[in-house]
Amino acid sequence: MRIPRTAALASAAAVAVGVLTGCSAGGGESILDRETLTIGVKADQPGLGLRRSDGEFVGFDVDVARYVAGKLGFSDQEIRFTETPSNVREQVLEQRRVDMVVASYSITASRKTKVTFAGPYYVAHQDTLVRAGDSAVRNVRDLANRRLCKVTGSNSWRRVTEERGVPARLVETTTYSDCVDRLIRGEVDAVSTDDLILAGFAAQRGNAVKIINAPISDEKYGIGLHKGDLDGCEAINRALTEMYQDGTAARLLDKWFGRTTLRTTDSVPQFEGCS
Amino acid sequence: MTVTAQSPAGPTPAVPDPTPPAGPPRPGAVRRLARRIHLRTVPARIRAMTLVAVVAVGVLFGAASWAIGNARDGLATIGHDAGPQVVATGDLFFALNDMDAQVANVLLLGRDRDLGRGREASLRLYAQRRSEASRALLQAAQLAGDDRTEQRTVQAVLDGLGEYERLAARAIQLDEQRPHPAGPPSDEVLALYREATDLMKLKLLPQAYNLTLESGSIVRKTYEREHSSLVAGRLWVLGSGLAVVAALAAVQVYLARRFRRLVNPALALATLGAVALTAAVAVLVGTQAGLLRKAKEEGFDSVLALSRARAIGNSAYADEGRYLLDPVRRDTYEQVYFDKSQSILYLDAERTKSLADYYVNLDAAVNAYRSQPRATFLGFFGDQARAARPGGAEAAAVTRVLERYREFQRKDRSVREMVAGGRLGEALRLHLDGREFSRYDAALVELARMHRATFTGAIRQGDRGLRGWDVALPVASAALVVLILLGVRPRLAEYR
Repeated sequence: MRIPRTAALASAAAVAVGVLTGCSAGGGESILDRETLTIGVKADQPGLGLRRSDGEFVGFDVDVARYVAGKLGFSDQEIRFTETPSNVREQVLEQRRVDMVVASYSITASRKTKVTFAGPYYVAHQDTLVRAGDSAVRNVRDLANRRLCKVTGSNSWRRVTEERGVPARLVETTTYSDCVDRLIRGEVDAVSTDDLILAGFAAQRGNAVKIINAPISDEKYGIGLHKGDLDGCEAINRALTEMYQDGTAARLLDKWFGRTTLRTTDSVPQFEGCS
Repeated sequence: MTVTAQSPAGPTPAVPDPTPPAGPPRPGAVRRLARRIHLRTVPARIRAMTLVAVVAVGVLFGAASWAIGNARDGLATIGHDAGPQVVATGDLFFALNDMDAQVANVLLLGRDRDLGRGREASLRLYAQRRSEASRALLQAAQLAGDDRTEQRTVQAVLDGLGEYERLAARAIQLDEQRPHPAGPPSDEVLALYREATDLMKLKLLPQAYNLTLESGSIVRKTYEREHSSLVAGRLWVLGSGLAVVAALAAVQVYLARRFRRLVNPALALATLGAVALTAAVAVLVGTQAGLLRKAKEEGFDSVLALSRARAIGNSAYADEGRYLLDPVRRDTYEQVYFDKSQSILYLDAERTKSLADYYVNLDAAVNAYRSQPRATFLGFFGDQARAARPGGAEAAAVTRVLERYREFQRKDRSVREMVAGGRLGEALRLHLDGREFSRYDAALVELARMHRATFTGAIRQGDRGLRGWDVALPVASAALVVLILLGVRPRLAEYR
């Protein structure tokens, strides 16, 4: 790329034009111009974003956010994590209460009308969790006539029973954590949702459960930004590319999900493109 | 201003501040300078005012050539260097996708070598795409320059491509040794192909896609920088033009009062010339900024988006083939087909939860758009539909794309219904026929061609607009200076 020609520029004009264009770019628009960074994460998702009893947030999402923030030039002291529940993610970005959201936030075309998405930093898949000793369930079709956990307010079960028409028997409960406990106790036979979420629970429960690695969807986990922050979005995409190139992504995936039977992908995902 | 305040000769017309805007000099310095050049005498004042006018012309010249230079750079980068190169790297994603599609085709045909396009044609196409991919990678490597991250991505795609070819060649070779009728090949062949297609899907394609995105972002940044400097440049031209006019008016008024003359013709001519030059350059720079915007937003962005949409559509069609090729992974391939369809033309997820919903809602969405051009859908085609001016040729092209896309989806529905009904052979023939897909693809290419024409048209118009200014600007500026000097010279002569 060539830089704007300066040869013809009167020295007096140079100074003043610099000031002029600087103004028109509009300060504070991009997260790159921020002094500190407020990052929205989940607080109740083991392996992804979990608030520990000492108030610190831990998980894959948190580590990814920290890496990206570091690449954008923010020190650990300059970033602050805050809980961002799923139903307010668009709202907090719009009102600039949070600078970026890294909270197992799937990129969809309708969300893209309100949020600028960097990434995805990982493509999760809907998959199935069964008891470690269960070798009868190898793909989603095998869930026919088995007890499948249905979490109130979640749509994951629909992919099995409605979209694929697999006649599983639904057992309703309130949280995925409860689903996994029931699975271990033998009260349900399978839990179906994003594999990273399943792996997060599985890692907590040792070897009692396993993921069958038969994905039935792509969930593009993106980093949400205030709509229109293209500079920030492109900078984050570069950081994510480097995260995969320098081996950090593989290390983090292993750190959080390596103990489970989940097969993770350690090459860079296809980005959505900043818009 | 300090100068005029010091002058005892009563009220003098306002003289534009002769100090350069680079930094305010101390008043003491100005006073000393004023004393040295004897501003107390009439010729000294004329000379000083003339100098101010000439310097203002110099600034006008500087600002104008800076703005015109920026316009030229913007056109060069977006229209001639990076822009077309980025579009060329966009072909990488398409070429890689199609390589994998052709491998799937060959494996699907088995010993029925003449079904559909036929085995030989598929292999030839594979080789052709391979060489297109190499060419695009070369472009990408050039665009990467000395950017380490980009270079590593190009390198990774090159390495992966070698690995992919090895796997694909083994699968094809093994398939030849295990003749089968059209349909799923042997398990060993399938295992090899899965390895190859996974490598393509998980490693190569994402990186190829990201390369285009990244180089597209270089173009965006250049565009924004050039565009805002054009806007700033225009302000500078207007500002300095105003300064020239003010300085000339001041000289005119001073001379009129001092020498009791009505109008100094040369100075008047210079003033008119300055107004004309300023207006011409301001209009030129404004037009160039508009053309650059048009080339970027209506041309380049759409060409790039459509080349992505085309590649994604092509790989969706290939997923229909993989769905037939690999019965074990049928659910997965149906899901990715659905996901790709959604990224091409997105229908509300609340009502569109499966491919079956998609077929139905697509029908309604296309009908709605046709009867009243209002896009109820998002995705690549949503953007296109919203950008096209209703009633224009582009909107007609969009409608054609949408209709043929629907035909293509209808055929896909038939293929899947045949498979569900146990008529695999029929489904296979219908898939391999590919007529609907080709028609859809051709409509898409036509739409992209229109945007490319917008792009090249705007760039050409921009190039034309700049022609001659290399000579015209210095000549016009020099003429202004000559006129100014001609205007004041007779008056100064009176004091010799």
